[in-house]
Amino acid sequence: MSGRPAAVALRGVTKRFGAVLAVDDVDLEVEAGAVHAVVGENGAGKSTLMSMLYGLHRPDSGTVLRGGREVELTSPLDAIGHGLGMVHQHFKLFEPLTVAENVVYRAEPVRRGVLDRRAAVRRVEELSARFGLAVDPDARVGSLPLGVRQRVEILKALHREAQVLVLDEPTAVLTPGEVDSLFAVLRSMADAGTAVVIVTHKVQEVLALSDRVTVLRDGRVSGRYETAATDAAELVRAMIGRGLAPTANPRDGVRGAEVLTVRDLRLGASASGPGLRDVCLTVAAGEVVGVAGVSGNGQRELVETLVGLRRQDAGTVVLRGSALDGLDVRRRRERGVAYVPEDRPGTGSAATLTVAHNLALGHHRRAPLARRGWLSPRAVRSAAADAVRRLRIRTAGVDAPLASLSGGNAQKVVMARELLHDADLLVVEQPTQGVDVGAGEEIHRLLLERRAAGGAVLLVSYEISELQALSDRVLVMRDGAVTAELAAADASEDALGRAMSA
Amino acid sequence: MSAAPDSPAPPATLRPADRLRLAAPQAVVPLGAVLVALAVGAVVMLAAGVDPVRGYDAMVRGALGVSSIDFSVAAFTAILAMSLAFAVPARMGEYNLGGDGQLCVGGIAAAVVALHLPLPAPLLLPACLLAAVVAGALLAALSAPLTTRARVPVIISTLLLSTPAVALTSYLVRFPLADRGSGVPQTPRFPDAAHLPALPGTQYTNLGLLLVLLVLVAVVVVDGRTPLGFELRAVGANRRFAAYGGVSVPGLTLGALASAGAVAGLAGAVVVMTQPFRFVDGALTAPGYTFAGIAAALLAGGRPALLPLTAALFTVLQVGSTGMERDIDLPRQLGQVLQAVVILVLALRTVALTATARRARRRAPERS
Amino acid sequence: MLSSVLTLSFVAAVLTSTAPVALAALGGALCGRAGVFNIALEGQVLWACFAAVVVAAWTGSVWLGVLAAVVTTTLLASVLAVGSVRWHADPIIVAVGVNLLALGLTGFLLRSLLGASGTYAPPGLPGLPDLALLRGVPVLGPLLSGQSVLVPVALLLPLAAAWWLARTPAGLRLRGVGDHPAAAASLGVPVTRYQQATVHVAGALCGLAGAQLALGNVTAFTENMTAGRGWVAVAAVMLAVNRPVGVLLACLLFGAAEAWGFRLQGIGLPQQLTDAAPYLVTLVVLVVVRARRSSRQGAPA
Repeated sequence: MSGRPAAVALRGVTKRFGAVLAVDDVDLEVEAGAVHAVVGENGAGKSTLMSMLYGLHRPDSGTVLRGGREVELTSPLDAIGHGLGMVHQHFKLFEPLTVAENVVYRAEPVRRGVLDRRAAVRRVEELSARFGLAVDPDARVGSLPLGVRQRVEILKALHREAQVLVLDEPTAVLTPGEVDSLFAVLRSMADAGTAVVIVTHKVQEVLALSDRVTVLRDGRVSGRYETAATDAAELVRAMIGRGLAPTANPRDGVRGAEVLTVRDLRLGASASGPGLRDVCLTVAAGEVVGVAGVSGNGQRELVETLVGLRRQDAGTVVLRGSALDGLDVRRRRERGVAYVPEDRPGTGSAATLTVAHNLALGHHRRAPLARRGWLSPRAVRSAAADAVRRLRIRTAGVDAPLASLSGGNAQKVVMARELLHDADLLVVEQPTQGVDVGAGEEIHRLLLERRAAGGAVLLVSYEISELQALSDRVLVMRDGAVTAELAAADASEDALGRAMSA
Repeated sequence: MSAAPDSPAPPATLRPADRLRLAAPQAVVPLGAVLVALAVGAVVMLAAGVDPVRGYDAMVRGALGVSSIDFSVAAFTAILAMSLAFAVPARMGEYNLGGDGQLCVGGIAAAVVALHLPLPAPLLLPACLLAAVVAGALLAALSAPLTTRARVPVIISTLLLSTPAVALTSYLVRFPLADRGSGVPQTPRFPDAAHLPALPGTQYTNLGLLLVLLVLVAVVVVDGRTPLGFELRAVGANRRFAAYGGVSVPGLTLGALASAGAVAGLAGAVVVMTQPFRFVDGALTAPGYTFAGIAAALLAGGRPALLPLTAALFTVLQVGSTGMERDIDLPRQLGQVLQAVVILVLALRTVALTATARRARRRAPERS
Repeated sequence: MLSSVLTLSFVAAVLTSTAPVALAALGGALCGRAGVFNIALEGQVLWACFAAVVVAAWTGSVWLGVLAAVVTTTLLASVLAVGSVRWHADPIIVAVGVNLLALGLTGFLLRSLLGASGTYAPPGLPGLPDLALLRGVPVLGPLLSGQSVLVPVALLLPLAAAWWLARTPAGLRLRGVGDHPAAAASLGVPVTRYQQATVHVAGALCGLAGAQLALGNVTAFTENMTAGRGWVAVAAVMLAVNRPVGVLLACLLFGAAEAWGFRLQGIGLPQQLTDAAPYLVTLVVLVVVRARRSSRQGAPA
């Protein structure tokens, strides 16, 4: 290590949320001119750590040092003032505004009290030329692909003269090609003297980009490495406390009869996505079919068409031999379609309703919850109590509002509702997003149980490791079409990455 | 056979103190809102040089005195109906502010049938009521496709439809349906067969009250005991969640608004088919049944069974302030002011709730 | 019939009808831009009418009347600003309360304070001065010389607001606040303060709207004299998706319908029918535009 003070450092920081120790006595030093990776599983405390670095949370104890001097960060504004920039996983951009407006927002060039738009555009052009961030300053952000929006976020930080740039899960929304160009940009920024911090749980990216690595586990530092002197196995051990368990997927299920048959499904492109282009697929009983692809390549449209939230322009969806076309969500559920949506807080549940009511929706017109047109509050509650017990959902009771549950338990409520009624077809999007490792393993176990019991599962995920762990076959979607199909054995990260960007 | 005991009581995430804090505003806030409104009323009376004790005494006597109770019950009927017309769509998060228009088209439809349809006596009365219900339902139902297809909020479309609807009825009673002999814009007196039979010993209290109470019971039962009621609440809690769970949001919106308009139309018919048995221009809108009903519905919150109570309260305010105007010359609009204060205090109830929610969130771990 | 539409005097009547609605709608549009749903316009304008007439009558000064309308209506807007912006109360219910409060309070005070019932127009109540100095100027003369000075203000303010939103740092920040409050806050913009200030500005604009309606369009206060104009303003805001210039155009449409209604009354059509027309026109246009817009965006089934 050089004798210069670290560009930014955390010393002995601890952060507690109620009974949970999110970050426990963590030290972190980031040097100027280097890329520093912070890795760990979901729930290891990475995001909390970065929030403290950006003034969103204040540490309960410990200090933040910037260039060797202790600083107090009480808000993101403080952090910006101290030369810290942050690119959040969910971008904080104004979609109706132009790129230049987004970049200069709250740090506007002004001439005689009036916004100097030409200066703003020049500034964007200059910065993007310097770091190779190609972007049109006059484009509306809402019309740009996610990869370009990320460049806008980086430009925002650069415009504010950030000397430390923190990126939270920066590759989650990028195509493999976009990842390469992002890495080139970050490298050139580090070479120009910026301290770059990437927060991620993807070991391959750490190895490809960083100079140094800090590994977090359960809120504590479990390892520090020079990237050149470590390897994937060592990092994974530090992350999860053991070697990778052999995959728990026996893959011994017998492929049964075809449950879902989709033929030539077509949907027009819209502002929100590419639509669907002649999608064909099948899912059989006792089979998990994974759908891989970069987010926004038609997965959402496919799923919503299958469950009846959208109507296709052409093509047909057949469930156990009978066509579902033209049926609404309710009728499809009655025929045996269950669906765990990606947006579980916004679509999959209602925070103000009770746990029992959240568990009842979709089953509320059928026995045992309803009989002869009457809904039985008692049956609703006892079915809910049963689900709470079987999935070990931690709640004060079935009459507690869903909002009173922790995020992981609220997700389990959604999962429970869709799993417990033994629908023929289960469509799942991103089943383990936002849950901690323990809950994630449990959810995987439940999905595999469903398969073992003869269920057909269509699994949409952006996590290649999840697809590998669960699927019997993996389909790759790109631009609204299924562009490749791989058997589980052939679905390596390389092969999938190639198919996703081909 | 309650379900709770057989679950192995997982560790509570909601502590008893929190549960109390979540529950407390439900009872305290509505009472508090009424007390604040009464206090504001007292201040206004003092400012106007009236002893509040005398003022409120005049108000209570004006509403519940021997000579006025009969009329108050009739007003209660209309206000209760209008509270239902607001409360049913409000259950799914839609605000029906077009009650005046729905009342008026209901009233005018009843009047047209009563005056111009040559039906035998026993059929005339139900025909009048049916026409009113259909007219109110149709007007309100117009707002459903406007919101589900054109995404014009119900609150806007009901209001923008209400003004022309009221104007149209005003035109009709002034011209085609006018009672030429009188100088007042009103229809002729309906034939006896179109008079709602009054309860024994009363002039204004009639079959209409029973009909509206019947509707109330139906709403309470549907709300609490049927899949339909559950779906309404699910849409109100989270529209996307409800649609995802198989609820037909457009259909439900149409149904809820049509029902709301139907009750309002019924109220219109009940008012015109009571003394003086005419559609008098302004008689449906001037008393402010619509807003009294809205205030009553907001005060009852999500509990339709409480509507008779809150509707009674606002009836006292409404009818009582007319009595107050008569007895001690204090303008009856004071009743509206007090309603507004109740609504505003209730709206701020959310402050207590969000503060509680924020505390709960702060305790929850935020790791990812 | 058609020729009457094209006369300058008809256009002048359109501008008169447009002015109060446009001022209120501009307030609503700015609130929309700041991410606040403001449907308390009706009540605020009604209150402003009352305040303007009472103070103008008492002091004999029309300008003190205008000032009183602006100041007191801004205060009334605090209810919405504090209640729904700072305390996060349901903006719709707060607005319903404000609208009813204005209706009740003006009616109550009209009787108890002024001893009038229905209408208050004391002799000597001053109206807003008209633009007599434009008399004789071609085109502008016939259009504006008979109008109050607030009419050109109402027509020009939306243009100024559009410029302000597009070309000033504060305008840019306001747009960001409305689009993505969390993002604006993370960059250090005081979101709540921006929103509260905007609600107050909207209150002031409603104050001007009321002054124009009660001291310009007519010279009197009548119970519930806004008669739904505040709701037309809300519809105009939705129609124009919060764009100030678009809002002005939408209000001109309403103004044209109202002015045409007056014409038709002149040739014997009942007032009740012509009064209804502007609301129906507004609603129909709103529905058509919104429906086309949502079908273009490809709404899911």
